[in-house]
Formats: sequence, C-alpha cells, structure tokens
Amino acid sequence: MDCNTCDSTGAVLVHTPEVVEVSLTITLQAKEMLENAFGDDRSHALLVGVLSGGCSGYMYDLQIVESTEQDCQELIIEGFRVLVPNATSHLLDGIEIDYVDRLMGGGFKINNPNASSACGCGESFA
Amino acid sequence: MGVFALDSYVLILRGNDVLQFINGLSTNKVNGTCTTVFTTIKAKIIDMCDVIVMDDFVALIGHNPYKESLLSHLKTRILDSDVSIGDASFSNEVFLSTADIEVNEGVTKANTFRGFLIISPIGKGPEVTMTEEQFSNYRVDNMIPHHGHEITPEFNPLDCGLGHLVHDNKGCYIGQEIIARMRSRNKQLKQFVRVSTHGEDKPTTVGENYCLTIKRMRK
Repeated sequence: MDCNTCDSTGAVLVHTPEVVEVSLTITLQAKEMLENAFGDDRSHALLVGVLSGGCSGYMYDLQIVESTEQDCQELIIEGFRVLVPNATSHLLDGIEIDYVDRLMGGGFKINNPNASSACGCGESFA
Repeated sequence: MGVFALDSYVLILRGNDVLQFINGLSTNKVNGTCTTVFTTIKAKIIDMCDVIVMDDFVALIGHNPYKESLLSHLKTRILDSDVSIGDASFSNEVFLSTADIEVNEGVTKANTFRGFLIISPIGKGPEVTMTEEQFSNYRVDNMIPHHGHEITPEFNPLDCGLGHLVHDNKGCYIGQEIIARMRSRNKQLKQFVRVSTHGEDKPTTVGENYCLTIKRMRK
C-alpha cells in the first residue's frame, strides 16, 4: 500500500443517528443501590453509555463519573445526575435501570425497549 | 504456484480505538496484523478480513462483493469511538502469492494462512501468473477456503474451515454465544472437507483430482 495513496482515501460516510431527547427510569431496587454507591455526595453522576461489541453488537457501559468529555445530556432522575452521551441517545431512550439481586449474574440491569435481542448475560443487546 | 489477483477491497481505518473496535466485532483476537472474521448475531459470515497494522492506520482487506455488508455492519457501531473509515479500494490492487516473493517499494506484503497477501498501488503489483483454475487447485491441495466458494454468508466460520480464526477465550464479539455453544457442546453440524471429484457431494471448489465441499456431518 502506498501511504500517499492512503492519505487521499475517500472517507466512508458514516450515518450519524439523530440525537434523541432521552427519558429513562430507575427502579426502586436500583435507586437503593445507587444511594449506597453515591452516599450523600451528589457531585458525581451516573454515566449510562453504549459501546460497540459484546455478543449482540452493543454493550451497556455504566460508570460513576465526576465529569466526562463526551457530549452528553444531563438528566436528574430520582435525585441522581444521569449523563447520557448524545451519540448513543437513540439506543437508550425509554430504558429502565433496574438492579437484580442474585448470587450469580446479579447487578444493574437495563431493560431496553429499543433492543430487539439481548445476550444471555444481559450486558449486550442488538 | 504463483500469484493470483484477488477481488478485494481495501478499507483504511484510523483512530485510537481501531484495533479495539475490530476486536470487539470479530472472531479472532485482534491486537496486531492478523486475519479475522466478522459475523452476524446468528454467527453467519459477513466477511473474512485481513487486518494489516501500518504506521498510522490499519488496513482491512476483504472480498469486494461483501464490502457494503461489512461497511453497514461497522458504520452503525462506531458510535463515539475514535474510528474513521476511508475506502482505498480504487487505488490499490490485492494479490495472493503462494510463495514469499520480492515486492516493489511501497507495496505491502503480509503472511497469511492463505499465502502471502500483497497490496499495491495500481500498476505496481507483481505479475499475475495463476489462472482461476490453478488457484483452485492450489486451494484444494492445501484445503484453503475462499470467498464466494466456502466463505459465504450462508455459513459460520466453523462450517467452512475457519475455526483457527475463532479465538476461544478473547471475550465477547457478535455471534460469540452461538459459536462458543457449538464448540463446547460439539454441535458443529457441517465440516469443510476435501473429497473425490467422483463422489456424490456437491463441490464448493472443483480441483483437478479432488474437490472442496462443506459436508453435513452425521450425528
């Protein structure tokens, strides 16, 4: 390959999905777990994102962050700051953040009306 | 033995997340130059691609008729990753050499399981010395599956002899659950085999004395 050639390669048009104004809910169980995690400090936020990958194509990414460089929507849900990146807002509108208490596979669980399928562990969806 | 011209595309991927992005969407562990397979959720092949890591970009070489399917698969999954895709197919040619040959300056060569993959700016590549028939014989002799014959969207990587490109413990990728289940439960229903030209099996590649086919296994 000639690098000079490669420098002049035509960019492949990547369709940027429309930014959706996200609404989401947090269940009582998830709220209790978040209260344990955050304590009285509300300076941090829950970042709810999506990464590519996983068994079904997209993976949820939950993080507690002080701030982020991503272009995000900021929501206040049940007293918590929730950040949703605009780039993945179309995949996250209408989700419910739940917490499942199980010996195996327990933890935060996202119920997503936009997902047509999900993998067995629940972390990945399509 | 010789050099065969492939019908390939050359995509140029740039950005800090490129290898991680390809790794998350394909069957092999992608942390450098390698060959990997992109699969659907149902583990069917989208394309088998050679990943070639260059100084400041990564080239993805695949089969031209499958380019649009792969691009649609990749484009919707970039999200906010640091990945950009360019198409350099129009300015490069791709060859497969059965032996390690000298190439001109500016021409890239990578050793793959199929042979030596050569990507060159148009007009700078090696002389083509193999016909389609000779290439088929080479593939039959060496049990090498090929795009459009065995490597098609009809099959999963295990069906068509690409099991060595499926990493066992790299973690999740699209189609992984199905492939992992097939392997762990020994549920592979089809197998890539070489058979006699006079047999009853419908060949996917016809050679001089033998054929390649994907045969349903009796369980």
